Amino acid sequence: MVMGDIATATDLLVIGAGPGGYVAAIRGAQLGLDTTLVEKDAYGGACLNRGCIPSKAFIHGADVAHEAGNAEEMGIHADPAIDMLQMQEWKSDVVDQLTSGVEKLCKANGVSLLEGTAAFEDEHTARIAHGGEGQGMETVEFEHAVIATGSRPIQIPGFDFADDPVLSSSQLLQMESVPDRLVVVGAGYIGMELSTMLTKLGTEVTVVEMLDDVLPAYEADVKRIVRKRAEELGIDFHFGEGATGWEETADGVLVSTETEAGDVSQYEGDAVLVAVGRQPVTDTMELDAIGLEPNDAGFIETDDRARTDVENVFAVGDVAGEPMLAHKASAEGIVAAEVAAGEPAALDQQAIPAAVFTDPEIATVGLTEDDAADAGFDPVVGEMPLRASGRALSMGESDGFVRIVADEASEIVLGGQIVGPNASEIVAEVALAVEMSATLEDVAGTVHTHPTLAEAVMEAAENAQGQAIHTLNR
Amino acid sequence: MVERTFELPDLGEGIAEGELVSWLVAAGDTVEEDQVIAEVETDKALVEIPSPYDGSVTRLHHDEGEIVPVDAVIATFEVEGDEEAATERDSSSSSADAEGSPGETAADAADTDAAAAGTPADAAADASPGESPVPSGRVFASPSTRALARELGVDIGAVEGSGPGGRVAGADVRAHAQGAGTPAGEEPAAGAATASAAAAETAATTTADSEAVAAVGNGTAEAVEQRESGVGAAAAERDRTLAMPATRQLAADLGVDLNAVPASEEREGEPFVTPDDVRAFAAEGSDGASGVASGVAGATTTEEAKSATEPVTTADERSAAETPGEGAAAGDLADRPGERVPYRGVRRTIGEQMAESKYTAPHVSHHDEFDATELVELQEELAAVAETEGVKLTYLPFVVKAITTALAEFPYLNASLDESAGEIVLHDEYNVGIAVATDAGLMVPVVKNADEKGLKQLAEEIRDLAERARNRQIKPEEMQGGTFTITNIGVIGGEFSSPIINHPEAAIFAMGPIKKRPWVVDDEVVARNTMRFSMSVDHRLVDGADAARFSNRVKELLAEPSRLLLE
Repeated sequence: MVMGDIATATDLLVIGAGPGGYVAAIRGAQLGLDTTLVEKDAYGGACLNRGCIPSKAFIHGADVAHEAGNAEEMGIHADPAIDMLQMQEWKSDVVDQLTSGVEKLCKANGVSLLEGTAAFEDEHTARIAHGGEGQGMETVEFEHAVIATGSRPIQIPGFDFADDPVLSSSQLLQMESVPDRLVVVGAGYIGMELSTMLTKLGTEVTVVEMLDDVLPAYEADVKRIVRKRAEELGIDFHFGEGATGWEETADGVLVSTETEAGDVSQYEGDAVLVAVGRQPVTDTMELDAIGLEPNDAGFIETDDRARTDVENVFAVGDVAGEPMLAHKASAEGIVAAEVAAGEPAALDQQAIPAAVFTDPEIATVGLTEDDAADAGFDPVVGEMPLRASGRALSMGESDGFVRIVADEASEIVLGGQIVGPNASEIVAEVALAVEMSATLEDVAGTVHTHPTLAEAVMEAAENAQGQAIHTLNR
Repeated sequence: MVERTFELPDLGEGIAEGELVSWLVAAGDTVEEDQVIAEVETDKALVEIPSPYDGSVTRLHHDEGEIVPVDAVIATFEVEGDEEAATERDSSSSSADAEGSPGETAADAADTDAAAAGTPADAAADASPGESPVPSGRVFASPSTRALARELGVDIGAVEGSGPGGRVAGADVRAHAQGAGTPAGEEPAAGAATASAAAAETAATTTADSEAVAAVGNGTAEAVEQRESGVGAAAAERDRTLAMPATRQLAADLGVDLNAVPASEEREGEPFVTPDDVRAFAAEGSDGASGVASGVAGATTTEEAKSATEPVTTADERSAAETPGEGAAAGDLADRPGERVPYRGVRRTIGEQMAESKYTAPHVSHHDEFDATELVELQEELAAVAETEGVKLTYLPFVVKAITTALAEFPYLNASLDESAGEIVLHDEYNVGIAVATDAGLMVPVVKNADEKGLKQLAEEIRDLAERARNRQIKPEEMQGGTFTITNIGVIGGEFSSPIINHPEAAIFAMGPIKKRPWVVDDEVVARNTMRFSMSVDHRLVDGADAARFSNRVKELLAEPSRLLLE
């Protein structure tokens, strides 16, 4: 401890106020723990400030503009003009409302908020360096700590986010005007969401991807629909090419790529967005002071109680492993706080749903047919194509399907894959079915509202039972 | 420097629990892998528990004398030992007393930890002993059901589901918690029986004053039920109770029957007992005795008392009911001076088994005697031969041989009654138990397939089993699976006995000493070597006449042992 330090004692120290951290802090305080939440810049973390929320705001804005301008078939003739500064302002209002809400919730629940960066001194002490030089330090003594430092965008060699024309996803979301041309490195979910959004706003987007397809984590029939739509929108894909460097030109950048065979290509853009993934933040809190170190993949390992190898220190969210999703972080944060408070909580979720906000959306939960077979089940699958859905047709969005995977013997629902409008919403029902161990009969026997997209879940379950009404049973 | 918990390992087939007889280590001790850290007594055998780790012991989770279920955490180790931390903890929170209640110990550990920053000691506080595991595969249960399992300390992966597709319901979890999968910290049946018996005791004392003297003396079910009702009059009466594992442990520690504790809360519509409820009930217990007493006196008729307890048929209650004599006799023992020896371990196991046998199987005894002249001659002759091969041949192998031969002709004496199935099981093997007196008490190692073994082999095997039983080196499975038991009362002295059947066998044979006694041969009284023996049979399976016929056949084979050659 440094002379002159202020020492504070707390039951629960939470490092990072993202969806993992602030949730852990609030639950800790609810359970009567004296809780301190340390955040270095913005409540709500990357998700609220630089990720999920701003990107969804822009995606929605882009959709409104794009749909308005492409609805001649419905008799709508419009040519929307985009005022990016205005859209930024609107997005900022949304973000501010949410982040100030998080701050208020924390305070209302009695969480002490500290601004700064936390570093461990030992297993019961952390040093908080307040932002900016000369702002001082303080020492916090804690019973339990939750590491929720999240993740940051990965940089690749030759592309430094400090250089002006090289943008991370966070930087792109701060843009003040719509770029005319953009080179996007990476066709994962972030690259695909942002490419689609910008294309709809009028940017000419070129995507280079080292692998041979978009969205590597998804099944072929799922990503085919999204890739086809992206191509129709005008995105120029180049697969099997890795970005090797860039040079400034008179009116932007020239990005060089190379195939495995050594063929070199160059693509022009106003700027280059590097969206090749995110990496956990483990280098700010002096983990070695408590004897922890990240595993080979860079994550802090935890057990089924969200505990690290140091039993009074928990890790949640992106820093604790894949999938790097906000809702997973929150679920883990709750468990960490409850375990710290002595409650019998555990990380026993059967499935973490995931959504990609492309056009159309993709949402999945639980096991795919192949996963289920690998796990030793005899899977049975039911599907409802959206072209048979009255609601999808009435939205002019009939590409996609809802698929349900169940165990043939017990008929218990194991997972689902959805491609289509609002897939991210529809998946919630399938997630509930998986988590509850509902059977196909349970889902099929639940009356669904007509006309909705969610009906397709019921229909898919019926299809898996071989008794669908609106689709041919396979 | 990693904390590792250690669960009581499998102690043998069908053994769900053991008594922690002694700790050979204390918290803070450094141990090596395979070093014996504890002795656990199960079903008559003493099992040594080796350390699974190199490291130091940070916590012992049970006191000596506690009954510990298999798979319950018994010790916490710090692996790749941190000497300093271990010593620190040793000096602060490791006395055997503190360990009795997990809650307290956890708090201790946490306190210590706050002071001694830098030691990961409150790992123990976090890793509560009843922490139920999260299965790695898919679990078919809803989140609320899984939460209930964690609350009750149940491994959800071990619960069989009754719902559609095998889905686990809350009721399945609760049933599991009550049944085979006893959650960590819960006092198992034996303890509960003791608690009920103690409660019954209190009531019986006062009942005896009024009308029930005769009934208690008879030890009839009715009397027992009446006593049970005495408890019911003042306390709650459930056949299962929701409570946290720590609460169950507390109840066990305080000698309180959880099912009798009035619940202050409800969970999912079922009574939920809190630690405070248990403490309050335990505190009432001492003066509550008089309250209970008047309660019984108030319940004037037996009918009334009975109707209050009709549905009570759990195993716990039954075992209490099976020892009615104790309740009556123990009535005024509470204040009696004298040395007090804990009733536990082998002594209690024997007691419980004998009581179960005697109160389950109606015993009928049969005694007889035969001229053992030829047996003595043959034994002397063969023993001399066997001795040259280093085998000590006693009379016992001859008796075993005669018995297995006779059993083949009288299958109902080599049988068991499966009451739940309503069937008599005629065993297809002849596994003969040999009662052995040891310092710790009676043990009955079993000679498996005795009918297939020759005299020499029987002699060797019996000697080996008996020796290991005396050294307490015998394995639990070597004392299981018997179909008939022989006890040799002749070794110590006496002529006849009324042996208690080794339940659920059908019969037991007690051989007396062979010695010269007056014997009538051709109307002349002459001195002859004779053997007297006694038998008890379960009259549910075997009538006296069959017992006598069996006995005659054994007698015949032993009186003319050369006949054994024919068999």
